[in-house]
Amino acid sequence: MDILSNLALGFGVAISLKNLLYCFFGVFLGTLIGVLPGIGPVATVAMLLPLTFNLDPATAMIMLAGIYYGAQYGGSTTAILVNIPGESSSVVTTLDGYQMARQGRAGPALGIAAIASFVAGTFATLVVALFSPPLAEIALKFQPADYFSLMVFGLVGAVVLARGSLRKAIAMVVLGLLLGLVGTDVNSGAIRFTFGIPALAEGISFVALAMGMFGIAEVIYNLEQRGKSREVFTSRLGSVLPSRDDLKLCLWSIARGTGLGAVLGILPGGGALLSSFAAYTIEKKIAKAPRNFGDGDIRGVAAPEAANNAGAQTSFIPMLTLGVPSNPTMALMIGALTIQGIQPGPQVLSQRPELFWGIVASMWIGNLFLLALNLPLVGLWVRLLAVPYRLLFPAILVFCCIGVFTINNNVFDLFQLVAFAGLGYVLLKLGCEPAPLILGLVLGPMMEEYLRRALLISLGDPMVLVTSPLSLAFLLAAAGLLISIAVPLIRAKREEAMKE
Amino acid sequence: MRWTVGVFSVLLALAGTQVQAQDFPTKPIRILVPFAPGGFVDTAARIVGQKLHERWGQQVIVENRPGGNGFIAVSAAAKSPADGYTLLMAHTGEFVVNPAVFKDVPYDFDRDFVPITQINDAPIVWVVNSNTPHQTMQDLMNAAKASPGKLGVSSPGNGSINHLVMEWTTLETGAKFLHVPYKGGAPAMAATAGGEVPAGIAALSSAMPHMQSGRVRAVAMSTATRTPVFPAVPTLAEIGVRNVQSSIWVGLFAPKAVPQPILDKLYGEVATILAMPDVKARFAAGGGVTGGMKPAEFAAKIRREYADAKKVVAAANVKAE
Repeated sequence: MDILSNLALGFGVAISLKNLLYCFFGVFLGTLIGVLPGIGPVATVAMLLPLTFNLDPATAMIMLAGIYYGAQYGGSTTAILVNIPGESSSVVTTLDGYQMARQGRAGPALGIAAIASFVAGTFATLVVALFSPPLAEIALKFQPADYFSLMVFGLVGAVVLARGSLRKAIAMVVLGLLLGLVGTDVNSGAIRFTFGIPALAEGISFVALAMGMFGIAEVIYNLEQRGKSREVFTSRLGSVLPSRDDLKLCLWSIARGTGLGAVLGILPGGGALLSSFAAYTIEKKIAKAPRNFGDGDIRGVAAPEAANNAGAQTSFIPMLTLGVPSNPTMALMIGALTIQGIQPGPQVLSQRPELFWGIVASMWIGNLFLLALNLPLVGLWVRLLAVPYRLLFPAILVFCCIGVFTINNNVFDLFQLVAFAGLGYVLLKLGCEPAPLILGLVLGPMMEEYLRRALLISLGDPMVLVTSPLSLAFLLAAAGLLISIAVPLIRAKREEAMKE
Repeated sequence: MRWTVGVFSVLLALAGTQVQAQDFPTKPIRILVPFAPGGFVDTAARIVGQKLHERWGQQVIVENRPGGNGFIAVSAAAKSPADGYTLLMAHTGEFVVNPAVFKDVPYDFDRDFVPITQINDAPIVWVVNSNTPHQTMQDLMNAAKASPGKLGVSSPGNGSINHLVMEWTTLETGAKFLHVPYKGGAPAMAATAGGEVPAGIAALSSAMPHMQSGRVRAVAMSTATRTPVFPAVPTLAEIGVRNVQSSIWVGLFAPKAVPQPILDKLYGEVATILAMPDVKARFAAGGGVTGGMKPAEFAAKIRREYADAKKVVAAANVKAE
């Protein structure tokens, strides 16, 4: 039983008093910065990097990893309470989470997010422990064509995210795709639609757009209501923890979300990102009463939260075994290892087993810490909503500005924040939802990159998209999803026509 | 009146310079980095910054200003006060490649900067996926010649130094490859390791983990001499590709007008740091050789490499914009 001795080695490392302390410090800090709107794990890890110079590599990584997945936990709190997604993965949580909060069910929303995250984190860590090397092989086998088709599937799913008009959702996806074109084209190196502004050469800032369109636009909208809609929020806090019925309802959603997140998280080229969107899409598609989705359905919080946490854990597989980061925080952790003189890659597992297994074991402990930390805190967070809005909203604005600025230390990003706040407000007034736009923005550039790379490698032969079985499967799934969206619409139209 | 103020401030500035040179540094120093935290330029800045802090007791703040192909950070450094308290950690891309591939670059190496020293220098390696039949660089070039423009080579980006080395190899040998750019060195190497693209041209640091795991085979190095980290891999010159010589270096720079005594002090201090065994070990883990080159020597190297890059860009018609 190799795995048992490995885990014993890992727990031996992780359970030392020092590592327990750093693990706790990491997840605590992660939760904290996750909760503060705008302050992301990237800025935090960057600030703490000097601290890791004098630590043992395993201890350093245990702490940094804790910040990373701790922030995933904390991020859902802001998404639910104030409708601000700190990272692309929590965009989906805002959809039903914020609606639940508005209905006075912030407690159950936060509770189920913590429980789903815990279950997913625990399971995904098991996956990491058991299957890291073979899964890394699978990640390597994933070709550009497969990625492209996965993105197509994700994009079709984006339409399902919409609560209201389908036409508006499609328009938002397309707008997102267009915004995603801004920046440097990977294949030719051409710089597109930047109007000579260097800050746009890497594209529109995702965080500025998400903060602006969700958070600040919502603030403006709330201020306009002059306290009318806010009253709903603050007067009824409701029960703090999810009820037994809630848990029963969410059981399978959590399981599906966990599985999906664990699988997609392995793909370094954008898998973890898609997992929460995909989990939500699936729940909404298979639910008996999908109409509730978008209006505060607890399954719409449970599934994506499980998916994004499972993805956060399994994305350590490509990072530790291939040295490929799936997001900026991971890139920083690779940097932290490099400073320690360790080049992340396949040899980490054989040459530094104590490091690899120590991190894996610490994830279990960390998830436990997070559950213990978050469930009692739910009551505290909920009470935060009772803070008068005139005090809450300036705080939100300040944190958003700090958060957006600290990413690149660039003032131009603040202008982007303002511009997207304006756009977000207009769209809110028009009844257009920002979630599909964000998915378009995030997936568009990747889709283009993978499609063009697939065609480049195949020397221009488009058949590569269907000759790869994986790619074909994703394309068929996308087509199926499209039909399942379109058919009820067409039927409704026809019935309408028949009546006349 | 204005004239006297002018003279007075010049005198004051001169007096200030003398005091500065002896006591430097009297306040925190910041090192601008044109990349997000975590990359190798950032890592170099943090390693050196930490040591400077230990030796001087002053805080050394690494300030990341990513984006715009490095334009943002480098122009900010160029416009900073030339007092030695703002430095720039940059790499081959900013001073050799950018001016060669971009029409408008908002800074100029000779006009705006003085080098302090080279921090780290790492070879660029040609690698092939281990499942391909190519055993040597010669095999790889023969295969490319047999089907021109069809043999895929991954690189960390269009207009990267790696891309230029690939084009340069083509210009020298006539072996035409299919350039497949990625977003950075790690995904590019993963693509070659996984067999998505049969060959790759990478910084040694990106290639090393996959070389050690046996997924890829290094067939040639771009440097003048073999690297001590992988002495078995021949240089391009050894196998007959004589002129192609390049590497990825990281260097520390200061705005042009920093007073010489401060520059001397910075050079002396950084050179001492680079000679420390633990610092050497950290850079060696990434396949690099620690620098310490004299400022004038480093400046000459940059000018020479820029001239080479310009030639390659013109001949191969590489375009970034």
